Amino acid sequence: MELVWHAAVSGAVLGLVYALVSLGLSLIWGVMDVVNLAHAEYLMLAMYATYWLWALGKVDPLAAVPVVVPVFFGFGWLTYQLLVRRIVRAPVAAQIFATFGLLFVLRYAAFAAFGPNVYGVWRLGEGTVSVLGVPVATSKAAAGVVSLAAFLGLSAFLRFTKAGKALQAAAQSREVALSLGIPVDRMYALSWGIGIASVALAGALLIPFYQVSPTIGDAFLLVAFASVVLGGFGRVDGALVGGLCIGLLENLLGTLLSPTLKLLFVFAVFVLMLLVRPQGLLGEPGR
Amino acid sequence: MRRAAAWLLPAAVVAVPLWVRDSFFLNAMIHVFLFGAAAQAWNLLGGYAGQISFGHAAFFGIGAYATAWLLSHHGLSPWAGLWVGAALAACASLLVGYPTFRLRRHFFALATLALAEIVRISFLNWEVVGAATGLYLPLGYRNRFEFLMWDAKAPYYWTALTAFALATGVVWVVDRHRAGRYLRAVEQDEDAAEMLGIPTRRYKLYAMGLSAALTALCGGLYALYVLYIDPYNVMASRISLLVVVIALIGGRGTVWGPVLGAPFVVLLNEYTRAWLGGAGSGADFILFGLVVVLLSLYQPRGLVGLLAKPARPVPVAVAGAGAEAPEPPPTAPREEVVLEIRDVRKSFGGVQAVRGVNLSVRRGEILGLVGPNGAGKSTLFDCLTGFVRPDAGSARLRGRPLLGLAPHRVAWAGLGRTFQAIRVFPELSVWDNVLCGAEHRGESLWEATAGEAPRAVQDRATALLRFFGLWEARDRPAGELSYGQQKLLSLAMVVLREPEVVLLDEPAAGVNPVLVEEMGRHLRALNAAGLTFVVIEHNMEFVMRTCHRVAFMAEGQVVTAGRPEEVQRDPRVLELYYGR
Repeated sequence: MELVWHAAVSGAVLGLVYALVSLGLSLIWGVMDVVNLAHAEYLMLAMYATYWLWALGKVDPLAAVPVVVPVFFGFGWLTYQLLVRRIVRAPVAAQIFATFGLLFVLRYAAFAAFGPNVYGVWRLGEGTVSVLGVPVATSKAAAGVVSLAAFLGLSAFLRFTKAGKALQAAAQSREVALSLGIPVDRMYALSWGIGIASVALAGALLIPFYQVSPTIGDAFLLVAFASVVLGGFGRVDGALVGGLCIGLLENLLGTLLSPTLKLLFVFAVFVLMLLVRPQGLLGEPGR
Repeated sequence: MRRAAAWLLPAAVVAVPLWVRDSFFLNAMIHVFLFGAAAQAWNLLGGYAGQISFGHAAFFGIGAYATAWLLSHHGLSPWAGLWVGAALAACASLLVGYPTFRLRRHFFALATLALAEIVRISFLNWEVVGAATGLYLPLGYRNRFEFLMWDAKAPYYWTALTAFALATGVVWVVDRHRAGRYLRAVEQDEDAAEMLGIPTRRYKLYAMGLSAALTALCGGLYALYVLYIDPYNVMASRISLLVVVIALIGGRGTVWGPVLGAPFVVLLNEYTRAWLGGAGSGADFILFGLVVVLLSLYQPRGLVGLLAKPARPVPVAVAGAGAEAPEPPPTAPREEVVLEIRDVRKSFGGVQAVRGVNLSVRRGEILGLVGPNGAGKSTLFDCLTGFVRPDAGSARLRGRPLLGLAPHRVAWAGLGRTFQAIRVFPELSVWDNVLCGAEHRGESLWEATAGEAPRAVQDRATALLRFFGLWEARDRPAGELSYGQQKLLSLAMVVLREPEVVLLDEPAAGVNPVLVEEMGRHLRALNAAGLTFVVIEHNMEFVMRTCHRVAFMAEGQVVTAGRPEEVQRDPRVLELYYGR
């Protein structure tokens, strides 16, 4: 029983980071109905960025956040301006293939730059903190806390600021928002900035306990999709609920049944969810 | 000259191993053929049918494992094992495809991505097939034709080339016949294809099964070539992605796309790896990524699209009523009720869009359906044609119940329909568009794959295109026609198979007055030739001149029906419609 409780707590902490990974995917998907297949590649690049800041500049991963996050905000903004704005109203196939091509470019750019080796941040003598009676590594606990804070911050931004409301309006209807004088194009760029910044934050939080390699995006892309579809896409709370569910599911089934099969269960739940309730746990039916 | 080249080039490709001994080159070419064939198989599903799969590595792996396991554990010849693998992959794909084809847009692609991972993880943990250790192919069977394994590269070159030719041949056959046309129609507008009577899910499953089987053949041959397989080398997502990239760069939805894409992608990949070594690994994939991005923005048909000569512009005559209405069948008495609608109801949430519609359509009439916006006219059409499931009521076409049937079954029962917004297939030629409207009831997949539409159907399509003044434009993509011409085309598509009743949703909306006039004449001519129409229309002048009877709908009910002048004078109509 204690084993299960331990698995649940560390699953929930991991789930918070998964939620942060899927948040940007969900936001972009919800705001402009574009599925970014290259999403997890930004995670991979942010992990590399944080790693090299640590390895070369002796910058602690948490301290690197104020640098990495704004840079990736700009990266997301730029991606929108250079590529995505041209496909916003293109057929779905063109959208899929454009972000698919982007995935190739980013992944193999990392291959060319850093090679196929695996890198990780190693810190000796890292302490633990007690979370609900379970000892959790400090870096993991910090990742969970920062993720939660990022969620609260983004929710507050969307709910209480003018720009946040405009973003939601643009998500509801491009035409209506345009007719009300909302700069929809800028809102889309903003959603890419925020989306990529949040996945970069997740990358910086992950690197102390998760090694990076150029193909790491594969697993995370599916986990992020699973979270988004589970919670209901285009919703901030959906990403949180979905991420937590996936983290818990992965850790509990991994502990109880078999660690090698844990991702299999996650993907199976994802496919079942697509078939049975594609709008997600929190989403409204229809669409 | 061109004919000679058409024979010499393939002959030279076949003869390559006779004079080239460079094993690196031969190895690269074997990869070109095997992955080119897999890309061609993907093309059938992802290109023609428009169902984008990122999980073809699963089928590739199933083929590889079936062939290798049957050979190593049971000594079964690959000549049988390859087909077992193909059949297993096809079955697996149908099991997966049947539920997931309900998913539209991005969701199908996401589901295939996850399913491939599920298959890979399962094999990674399945002891019977060697789990993570993989399978070795028994080397004792080499150099025997019945086991398709050799020491030399040349025989592999020819088997791989055969697979490539087979896959390309299959796609070529599909492309040239009805099946290819229907698959492309499904890709471009699934609902419109369904309403013309094309059983869209059946065609998607057909494309998927065929695609999976061909991919599995490639996987099996690959296993026989590399002699050792594990989930990393035959089921990795890398294989799915490579196959997609080949088809995309070459040009998806074209026969020659994968044929051009495979040498480009695979040779570049193999040779950059050789030239640049570890330092340059990935450089070629960055290039592929950039090319895919650029093609998705500017040339969706890839290299084939770039190389194809732009079609000569054909002058399109402004639609002028051409020939006579084609072959009038005998007209029946006007009083016979052909479509009987009883108490049809539909609510969306709290809104009662259709609340108890009763309407009888008589054989040989043009019935106008008028009423203010939001009266429930289009919803009624949606209920009748199976796009919306009504809450209650019945509708019978010559006594046969319609409600509850899928749209293509409604079409088979003899109901045709056009949509309020134009729904032609923009990238198909005008000719292909019209032939999509052929009778699909009883048309087998085999007939659709192996042959063109029957002579009589083609004759009628020709007559209709002449009738609508679109004959000159028959080779043009429908998307290039003017708005009004597209409306005429969608009418030609729906009347090709002579349905019992044709529902038209605002045929005269948004077109210029000359064309409105013309549309009216066309409808009357087709009606004189025996077709029954129900027409939703706001243009009252058009309705008064075209329709024999008019039904007035408001707030989800038929308020009154009768001769046009009577309905127009009805005080309830004046109040509800004109607000007087």
